[in-house]
Amino acid sequence: MKTSLKRLLACAAMPALLAGSAFAQDYGNFDGYTLRVKLIGGAQYEPLYATISEWEAATGATVQILSRKNHFELDREIKQDIAAGTLNWCVGSNHTSFAPQYGNIYADLNDLIAPETLAGFTPLLLEHSTVDGRLVQLPRHSDVSNLFYIKSLYEDAENQAAFAAEYGYDLAPPETWDQVRDQALFFANPPDFFGTQFVGKDEAITGRFYERLVSNGGAMFDEDWNPTFNSPEGVAALQWFVDLYNAGAVPVGVPNYLWDDTGLGFASGTVALNLDWGGWSAFFNDAENSSVAGNVGVVRAPKGDAGLRTGWSGSHSFSITTTCDNPEAAASFITFLTDHDRQMIEARMGILPTRTAVWDDALAEFAAAGDDFMVEVFSTFRTSMAEDAFTPPLIAEWIEVSNALWPRLQAAMVGDMTAQQALDAAARDAREIMEDAGHL
Amino acid sequence: MSTIAERAAIRRRIQAVGLWLATFLLMVIMCLPGLWVVLAAFRPNREILAKPPIWVPQQLTLNNFAKIFGFGSDQVGIPVLAYFTNSMVIAMTSTVIALVIGVGGGYAFARFRFRFKNGLFLGLMLFRAVPGIALSLPIFMLWSRIGLIDAQLGLIIVYVSLNVPFTIWLIDGFFRQIPISLSEAAQVDGCTRWQAFWKIEFPLARSGIAAAGVFAFLTSWNEFALASQLTRTTDSKTLPVGLMDFTAQFTIDWAGMCAMAVIIIVPALILTFLVQKHLISGLTFGGVKG
Amino acid sequence: MTPFLLLLPAILTMLFVVALPLIFSFYTSMTSYRLTRPETIEDFIWFRNYIRLFENPDFWRAFLRTIVFLAIALNAELLLGLGIALLINKITWGQRTLRTIMMFPMMFSPILVGFQFKFIFNDNIGILNNALQSLGLTTQAIPWLVDAKLAMFSIIFAEVWMSTSVFAILLLAGLFAMPRDPIEAAKVDGCNSWQVFRHITLPFLMPFVFIAMTIRSLDVARAYDIVAIMTGGGPAGRTELLWTMIARVGYDNARMGQANAMAYLSTILSIAFTYYFYTKLVAARRYMGGAE
Repeated sequence: MKTSLKRLLACAAMPALLAGSAFAQDYGNFDGYTLRVKLIGGAQYEPLYATISEWEAATGATVQILSRKNHFELDREIKQDIAAGTLNWCVGSNHTSFAPQYGNIYADLNDLIAPETLAGFTPLLLEHSTVDGRLVQLPRHSDVSNLFYIKSLYEDAENQAAFAAEYGYDLAPPETWDQVRDQALFFANPPDFFGTQFVGKDEAITGRFYERLVSNGGAMFDEDWNPTFNSPEGVAALQWFVDLYNAGAVPVGVPNYLWDDTGLGFASGTVALNLDWGGWSAFFNDAENSSVAGNVGVVRAPKGDAGLRTGWSGSHSFSITTTCDNPEAAASFITFLTDHDRQMIEARMGILPTRTAVWDDALAEFAAAGDDFMVEVFSTFRTSMAEDAFTPPLIAEWIEVSNALWPRLQAAMVGDMTAQQALDAAARDAREIMEDAGHL
Repeated sequence: MSTIAERAAIRRRIQAVGLWLATFLLMVIMCLPGLWVVLAAFRPNREILAKPPIWVPQQLTLNNFAKIFGFGSDQVGIPVLAYFTNSMVIAMTSTVIALVIGVGGGYAFARFRFRFKNGLFLGLMLFRAVPGIALSLPIFMLWSRIGLIDAQLGLIIVYVSLNVPFTIWLIDGFFRQIPISLSEAAQVDGCTRWQAFWKIEFPLARSGIAAAGVFAFLTSWNEFALASQLTRTTDSKTLPVGLMDFTAQFTIDWAGMCAMAVIIIVPALILTFLVQKHLISGLTFGGVKG
Repeated sequence: MTPFLLLLPAILTMLFVVALPLIFSFYTSMTSYRLTRPETIEDFIWFRNYIRLFENPDFWRAFLRTIVFLAIALNAELLLGLGIALLINKITWGQRTLRTIMMFPMMFSPILVGFQFKFIFNDNIGILNNALQSLGLTTQAIPWLVDAKLAMFSIIFAEVWMSTSVFAILLLAGLFAMPRDPIEAAKVDGCNSWQVFRHITLPFLMPFVFIAMTIRSLDVARAYDIVAIMTGGGPAGRTELLWTMIARVGYDNARMGQANAMAYLSTILSIAFTYYFYTKLVAARRYMGGAE
């Protein structure tokens, strides 16, 4: 009775649903069950949650959202839950970079989710979601960074002539990070205009350094988990940031910048080149928020000294606790949240899907709508997701190593240490962390 | 026509007005950073974040407030009403309890001689000095054992303990100001000690209690560090914790946050203005003569 | 027995909310406790966390920086608060309005103050740099939150902005309690206003100064919210205070044992501050011939 009433209400509220009459998949029946979940919050994540009522209507279960906060806050909360033994909930938002820290609190989804469902996901992303051989999370959407630029700067004949005269090659969106440096220096006119910018603190700068390290042919650790990021490749990577900072090609406040600062900075039209996540693309091209709307181009992330492209990547995901009292309901719920139609909702906002088919369908939809910019964005990001993306080392100590590393990166940037000194000091601390953790 | 005395009076008045204006101006300059937040609450994000800056607002709007409450937008609103209610209930209840405990404690310190009196007084103050960040995890562990996480009661208990020491301090000083002979006279007239306290001493201590109340309320109303650890959902989340709702993984909604800030500030401002008269006299007599 | 009965609720709340957690955190500070591995709470390692801290130069830098931060901030708040109190005390008409305006910053939650000044001090779109550039005072973008000296200045400025009002209101209360006669008498004797202030007003205000200092020292750690939002202790640890360090080690790195050892040392520091001002206060009261 209760279920039918709910279904009736849901149908009345969403006539569009009636067209399909039911979902392509059967989500099961969990009548009367209350599923307790903790989700990542924030404007770009909310539209997906608006569809939760559809799952409730289909299964008869109720979803109780215990928390909805950003990932760093959620991370604290989950750690507290582990400490206090209050893992009395079933589904939690997760992230590939954070997941290894949580040990065994999350179940292996290979046991809970049908192989034919998993087959719909990009295999590489499932690999990234696996820790110690266990699939601890189901990727919801993925992200990688590519290079956004202001088109008009590159079309300007004066710029082209001046650049070619000064640097000896034609001005075009950069293929290598050395070209990014040239062009950033060329365009910079502080404090009114900047060549490029980067995030300067927390895991954000660690990640940016890490991908440059990899693109130069270096690595964070060797096979035995000895820190090796203070190699010549690492020094060259860090020196790139230091040089641009000292030359004033980036805003002088970057050591205190996070994603919101760089995103808003590019949207304000005061930055020529901006390596940023796909999730920003719709924002950059939205005249309501961005003064460069209609004037944004995007190319694949440039190559480092070793000819590799940068591609620090991570996926937002959902996990199910091992303490969950109804894993079937939880599995049904996260399958629903990551199914084809749900991912289409997020893809329309420029968020990168994790299902192979959604890439095709979203691209087709953008093309049909004549949205050339989004077609460009999705084609570019599709290639880089497939060919360039890599995750940080999936170890529990990643965040801790990052916290040892980023203050040293800043120290080199603001001139307290040389790049070599900074990385040597960080490597010493990282070694201690790895020793404490028993890796060494 | 005017006499010298009149002219002097006029000069004095002009001086007084000048002084007032100068002081007023200084206060406004002091408040500027805060006033800017209030102004930003009525401006769209595009205008606040513009470069080159837009100094004179071109567009004043209530949109930021409408958005918070979820009117006229496709986004899910922020449960401000729940946060507001939580904040009110938690701040009010903890203030009242802290005052009751503080009046008892202050009376004890002011009117009785007992062993360890000074040590106890100092001890209460020193306990209050323990930084919140040092307490947050142990309190969390303890509260989770007894089910006080994400409960209004959990925060109320914490805030009571934050406010009791200062309340005791103020009220202790205040009771000392009231001559003990008043209460003794009443007792001679047949009142019990309790009646004497309730009818004579308590009303006289009113402004001290009001002053302590304002400070306690402001502390609880604005506290963030502990609240962010001990609350989880709309069952207990307070307004300052709700501010974090405007920071997503990648973005900060400045305009929305400023609008929320106004919602936090206004009740506190009203309360302070209402209690203004008692505030100064309460602090005056509560403090020094203790 | 009556006084103890009256004090019982106060003592119980303090024991329950402060003493009990402190005992627990003292125990964990001698374990290798990691938040994400609950079983490590039983791994007792005596004073190893403390020994590590004593050998850690970053910790000592943060420790000293915290002391400097507190010393500068509290003194600046005192001086500014005193100035404001003296000024408002002179006002006879419309004082209540001015007093309310004066208390305006007290309405701001520390976390809000953090966001507000993070934005004001932003190098690119912050209003401070924009104002300086519009007025033609500079053509540079001044790195308020990055430069070693400016970053400390910025967080101290935010803290001072938030808390000066507390000093002003407490000192104003002191001025109100002040008897008029000695001042009138001194004026008749030909003292100028500086002499009156120096020899009459100031000595009278001293107990109030120590009261204000003591009261403020009770919750200085509130500044954690501000610093965490504005700089997070960066860049390159230039604004790292004990509290930001504790939060990062304890929660982000999940090393609660080590964080609690730091928290214990920061607790001792806070208590020392309060105790110092309190003894000053008692001495000043005795000097004034107050109670006790």
